[in-house]
Amino acid sequence: MFRNQYDTDVTTWSPAGRLFQVEYAMEAVKQGAAAVGLRSASHVVLATVNKAASDLSSYQKKVFKIDDHIGVAIAGLTADGRVLSRYLRNECINHAFVYESPLPVSRLVVRLADKAQRISGLTLMILQEQVCTQRSWKRPYGVGLLVAGLDETGAHLYYNCPSGNYFEYQAFAIGSRSQAAKTFLERRFESFNNYSRDELIKDAIFAIKETLQGEKLTSAICTLAVVGKDEAFHLIDQKIIQELIDSMEIKEDAPADQAPVTDEDGSTGAAPMDI
Amino acid sequence: MELQTLAMKDATIVDDGTTERTSYPYVTGTSVIGMKYKEGVIMAADTGGSYGSTLRYKSVERIKPIGKHSLLGASGEISDFQEILRYLDELILYDNMWDDGNSLGPKEVHNYLTRVMYNRRNKFDPLWNSLVLGGVKNGQKYLGMVSMNGTHFEDNHVATGFGNHLARPILRAEWHEDLSFEEAVKLMEKCLLVLLYRDRSAINKFQVAKITEEGVTISQPYALKTYWGFSAFQNPSKGAVGSW
Repeated sequence: MFRNQYDTDVTTWSPAGRLFQVEYAMEAVKQGAAAVGLRSASHVVLATVNKAASDLSSYQKKVFKIDDHIGVAIAGLTADGRVLSRYLRNECINHAFVYESPLPVSRLVVRLADKAQRISGLTLMILQEQVCTQRSWKRPYGVGLLVAGLDETGAHLYYNCPSGNYFEYQAFAIGSRSQAAKTFLERRFESFNNYSRDELIKDAIFAIKETLQGEKLTSAICTLAVVGKDEAFHLIDQKIIQELIDSMEIKEDAPADQAPVTDEDGSTGAAPMDI
Repeated sequence: MELQTLAMKDATIVDDGTTERTSYPYVTGTSVIGMKYKEGVIMAADTGGSYGSTLRYKSVERIKPIGKHSLLGASGEISDFQEILRYLDELILYDNMWDDGNSLGPKEVHNYLTRVMYNRRNKFDPLWNSLVLGGVKNGQKYLGMVSMNGTHFEDNHVATGFGNHLARPILRAEWHEDLSFEEAVKLMEKCLLVLLYRDRSAINKFQVAKITEEGVTISQPYALKTYWGFSAFQNPSKGAVGSW
C-alpha cells in the first residue's frame, strides 16, 4: 500500500484517477469497531461492538439518536461521528420546526453526503462525486455512518461513506471484521423484509457475534438500538440484550454459521482514536 | 450603511427622515369559509377584490391548489396572497425535485406558512392575509388557519374575516362529522348567503373548491339565489321624515 507520491493531499489525483486521501479515509472506517444494520418492512435495527480503550475506561458511544424516527451507528473516527451526529440532529430539528413533520430519511442522507463532499471543499453538486477540494488543509470525514430511519415511504437503512457516496441497504456491516457479518447477512437478507421486530434483533446480535470471532459475546460489549413504525428510535436495555444473548446460546449448538472469516486487511487492535 | 439602504428598499421615506412600511391593505378579498366533510375538505370564497369601499375586481380567484394535497384560500391583501403563492410555488417545486416518493402534505404547508407569517410580523412588515389551508393526505383530513400575525390553529371548520362572525355560528350549530358532499355544499351555501346579505364587500359570485385523496376540484364561479322581496323593502322612504 505504498502510493506515496500522490497521496499527500485531497486535491491531488493519482495518474490512475484515484484520490488516495479519500481512500485512506475509508480505511479509517475499516479500522473502527464493527457496526451492523438490518432492515425489515417496518423496523430497522442497529448493533455495534463496544470497544473500550482499556479495562479502566468506558467504551465510546457509537450509536446516536438523531430524531424520534432516525438513528445512526458509526465506525471509524468517533470524534468525526459525534460532530456529524450533531449536524444531523440540527437538520432534523430545523425541518421539524418549519414543517411540524419528521424529515424524510432519504433527504437527510443526501444532505450528509453533500456535506461530506463539501466539507473537503468543492462546489460540484452531482451526488456521487468523489471528494475534491480547493482547500488542501481540509480532510474528509474519517467515519462511516449507518443511518436507520422510518418515514412515510417506509423503513430505510443507508450507509454514508467518507467519500460522499451513500447507498441504501437491506442489511450492512462496517468496521473491523465486518466481512464475517456481511457473509452471515448475505445468506439471510432475502427474508429480512418479512421478519418480525424480534427476529430482526436476534439476527443483528448474531451478526455482531460473527465479527467477534470467538470472543465471548456479552451485553457489555454490544449496543443495540431499534426504530419501528410505532416505536421511536431508542437503545435497548443491556439486561434485555443479555437475556437475548443467553436465550440464543441455549439454542445454538452446531456453529454452522461460522463460515471461514476473511479479514479485509489483517486489522488487529484498534488505535485509540479509532474505536 | 448597506443595511439601511436595504431596509429602505421596501419602505417609504417620510418628510422628517423616518421610514415607514405599508401598514394597511389596498385591494382586499373578503371571507373564506372551510369545513371538513366525509371525503375531504371543502372551501368557498367569493371572487371579489375590493379597493376600499369600491368593488373593483369581480373575478379574483382566492382559492388555489398547492401541490397534490392542499388547497389555500386567502382573504385580505390580494397582492400579498399572490406573493405567498410564489413562495409556495418554489417550495413545492423543490419538494418535487427530490423525486423521492416523499411530498409535503397540508400539515407541512400550514406550518411553513405559519413560520412565514410570523416572521414577517416580527419584522413589522406583515403579509396582510388570513389564510385557510385545507387538504387530505394518506386518508387524513386537515384544515387549518393562519392569520397575519402568525396565530394558527386547526379545526373542523374555519372562516376568515366576517365569516368568523356570521358563518361560524351556523357551522357550530349544524356541522357534524362525515357530512356528504351535497350536505356540505348546502351548508356552505347557507353560510355564503348570509355573508352575501350582510357583508358589504361580498359579491354574488362564488367558487366552491373541494379536495379529496383523489385531488382538487374548483368549481366555476356561480351565483346564489337571493330574495329581496321583503315587505319592509317596499317603498322604503314611506313615513320617513324628509328634509323638505
